[in-house]
Amino acid sequence: MSAAVTTAGTGSTFSRLWARGPFARRAVPPPPVLSLSQIRWIGALLIAAQLPQAPWLPAWIAVFGITLVGLRMVFATRDARRPQATPTRIPSWALVVFAVAAAWFVRASFGGHLAGRDPSVAFLFILVGIKFLEARTRRDGTLLACLAMFMLITPFLANQSAWAALAMLPALVILGATLEALARTAPLVAPRAALKRSALLIAQGIPLAAILFVVFPRLSAPLWGLPQDYAAQTGLSDTMSPGMISELSQSDAVAFRVDFDGEPPPPAQRYWRGPVLTRFDGRTWSAIPQRGPGAPVDAQGAIQYTVTLEPSFKPWLFALEQAVGPPQITGGADDPGARSVQLTADRQIVARLPVREVTRYVQRSALGTHFASASDLDVRLARALPPGNPRAKALAADLRARYPDDREYAAAILRMFHDEAFVYTLTPPLLPTDPVDMFLFDERRGFCEHFASAFTFLLRAAGIPARVVTGYQGGEINPRGGYMIVRQSDAHAWTEAYIDGEWRRYDPTAAVAPNRIERGLSSAVGAGEPVPLFARLESGWLKSMQLAVDALNHAWERDVIGFNQSRQRELWRDLRLNTDNAPWVVGSLAAVIGAWGAVLLAWMAWRRRTEAREVLLWQAACARLAAAGLPRQPHEGPLDYAARAAARWPQFGIAFNAIAESYASLRYGDVEPDSKASEALLATLARAVDVLPAPRALRATAP
Amino acid sequence: MTVRSASHVVPVAQRLAGVLNQVGQIVVGKEHTLKLALACLLARGHLLIEDIPGVGKSTLAQALAATLGLKYARVQFTSDLLPADVLGVSIYDDKAQAFRFMPGPIFHSVVLADEINRAPPKTQSALLEAMEERQVSIDGTTRKLPEPFFVIATQNPVEQIGAFPLPESQLDRFLMAIDIGYPDAASERELLAGGDRRVRVADLVPVADAATLAEWQREAAAVHTAPALLDYTLALLAASRGYGSNAEGAARRGLSPRAGLMLVAAARAWALIAGRPMVMPEDVQAVFAPVAGHRLAGGARSGALQAQALLRSVPLP
Repeated sequence: MSAAVTTAGTGSTFSRLWARGPFARRAVPPPPVLSLSQIRWIGALLIAAQLPQAPWLPAWIAVFGITLVGLRMVFATRDARRPQATPTRIPSWALVVFAVAAAWFVRASFGGHLAGRDPSVAFLFILVGIKFLEARTRRDGTLLACLAMFMLITPFLANQSAWAALAMLPALVILGATLEALARTAPLVAPRAALKRSALLIAQGIPLAAILFVVFPRLSAPLWGLPQDYAAQTGLSDTMSPGMISELSQSDAVAFRVDFDGEPPPPAQRYWRGPVLTRFDGRTWSAIPQRGPGAPVDAQGAIQYTVTLEPSFKPWLFALEQAVGPPQITGGADDPGARSVQLTADRQIVARLPVREVTRYVQRSALGTHFASASDLDVRLARALPPGNPRAKALAADLRARYPDDREYAAAILRMFHDEAFVYTLTPPLLPTDPVDMFLFDERRGFCEHFASAFTFLLRAAGIPARVVTGYQGGEINPRGGYMIVRQSDAHAWTEAYIDGEWRRYDPTAAVAPNRIERGLSSAVGAGEPVPLFARLESGWLKSMQLAVDALNHAWERDVIGFNQSRQRELWRDLRLNTDNAPWVVGSLAAVIGAWGAVLLAWMAWRRRTEAREVLLWQAACARLAAAGLPRQPHEGPLDYAARAAARWPQFGIAFNAIAESYASLRYGDVEPDSKASEALLATLARAVDVLPAPRALRATAP
Repeated sequence: MTVRSASHVVPVAQRLAGVLNQVGQIVVGKEHTLKLALACLLARGHLLIEDIPGVGKSTLAQALAATLGLKYARVQFTSDLLPADVLGVSIYDDKAQAFRFMPGPIFHSVVLADEINRAPPKTQSALLEAMEERQVSIDGTTRKLPEPFFVIATQNPVEQIGAFPLPESQLDRFLMAIDIGYPDAASERELLAGGDRRVRVADLVPVADAATLAEWQREAAAVHTAPALLDYTLALLAASRGYGSNAEGAARRGLSPRAGLMLVAAARAWALIAGRPMVMPEDVQAVFAPVAGHRLAGGARSGALQAQALLRSVPLP
């Protein structure tokens, strides 16, 4: 090469060096191409990873993404059937057009955003299909497997229930089999065997995962926060207009679940206080800015319970009336902002940030219907009477003339609701103008918000401070697990009036439909009313199955999702784990993992024990020769192997021969098991294996 | 391997070695091919040789027949060959005032069907049917073929223009498909020095007869197959049925149960030739490519490669 440098001109020298040097273009072997079975595995994996995500996507995106994956599988099958024809390929420019069009459509269907969480997930959903369409090499296959792993996690952004975890399992099993198919050079992977192997691997890993779940230190804040964009959720809000709660009661989604430390209170006392609505514009009730803190109540006889609140994307935490103090958050709400909670003057429990994940808190409440006011401002604001609704005002003036006493006045209105032809219904009529008037005098059909709104209005019209309280009333005890389920269909609105220097609870719904309070929604409305299925069911297998499923979900949220740093610390403390001594923790962790590995190894050894003795002896001989540098090919028969070994170490040829022949006769010959002949052969085999020199000695004597 | 059965098999193996030795003097340097052909005969199967002319296909057939004391006939298949030319024909005898059956060349113990792909399908299938049934029905009369009955068919893989290659279903009737290949240099030198081998075939002294051969065939069928060996065979069959039909060399068509039966039969014959009273995995492996190759996709040659890949993919304990 130096000669070339000295003799040739500069430019050509360089190129010549280039051509000869270490970067010379060598004949690179073509990359390994995906086989049909590998393509099928990847396709199955992608679809299994897509399916759990599909329900959270717009229908067309779900169908399009899955169709792309299916298309590639159809192409691959067709190509394999006609090996001579040119393989079906969608040109890459078309794929680019696909991708750009998909991006545009995704952007359009997510309100002009492509950068948020949901549109990104949807875009990925389609992109894996497009990538799969152009995947040729094994490298592409590995990339797709990685993408599938990522896609497996995305459903948890939308939903962290036990079902989401269960829906992930099939894809996880297929993932193991796909990785095996990708790693294998031999094309033969029996699908069922591969799936079984993969499932076994996962099952073996579960104890390790469980240990790490419990022991691996958790961060006090999440590694990444849940992104901010979220879809509109059902739930109570800070405003209430006619029809809103009756609409909410159409949903049998769970609002929260409660574990009571003692006996749960009777149904009539299950008032879960939520948003308190003071401002009224003649149609809509709305909350006023919160101030705190609330006045203390007598904690005598208070009960304690733990609430597991589903994400509501609203700041309210719910407590039985009356909360003794702010709750102690024990799970979820990893963000410190979401943990700062206060009990306001009007006794709402409000977090600084909306509840975006399953949140657990311990709450104490003294059951009672009245409490002292914390501020005069509250009372003053609860007097404001908006213009409009003249007939109601006239009625109030008329009644007030007859009942100057506040309590008697309120009782008179409740009596009116009870005695006159008011109907409690889930399908209230629309009330376009002066809703209180229309409800009281024309329609007389309404849901709790109509009664609460009209009642509060009539109190205010008579000069009595009053406000609307929304929340949930009731709750169903799940006999499996012994906790209470409160659903959106339990949403309720009632009235609080300031009488005799105290806020007192009045529930006008109880006057018109006492069953609603005592026995729940379904027994309070007529048979034809659209009560959601699970709220309507009284008994039967469907109900009991639904309760069992709910118990599972509750346990999942309490013990898995809710297992955060503080719960972990508690558990460590209970287990007497000294977490300050890091080497000790790591050491014991390693010991536990090692113990599990030993269990698995012992199990394998035990399974081998069931193999015939001659096979064990034969495998011992093979292992010894392999250690000496002459491994048996997996498909090599005993006679061939012995011949090969004898060629390498002729001096031991007799031993090799004896081993191979006695093993062959025992395994393939016509020998009665446990007969004299077989015992003799086994003895020969054992002796011959004993005679074999140690691997080191064999290696030393190799020619 | 009890002593009794071992002593039973060894003399047979010795006499078979004698047969191979004698044929090997005529067909030089092709011990493995000869052994396969003999195994095929012992397993009561038929042999298909795919090779170019002049490598000794008919010499092999002739020498084998002469050594075993069997009647031998050769049929050159051409495009105008009719079924009657192979099976025989009834002709009217004026004197006897009746039809008299003139048996065709197929009524011999060893039949060499040369260039079988030259004949039209009708004639091919007449031959193949006779091979399968071991009997011939002509004019409503069923006539048994001699026992043993062994067909060696040859196919020229190169010149396929104007030929009728055997369809895959017909290929299935042959127990084995092999090629002979060129001899190595030493054998070819011996061949050139020794003069025309066909002349020497006439001088061969039979070392057996039809009855002995039938006895050996029974002996081969009785070779022991252990459960472990059957498991191994099943694994091979399952692997051939393929969980990955693709360009990487897996079988697109798996082996049929009949192929499995034939595989075990051939392996038994192979074990008998080796003087073993039981079939070893090595015996199955030795006959696997010839037995399975032409049943897998892509013809005997690429099928044999696939068969090797299959063998490598199925492990033994």
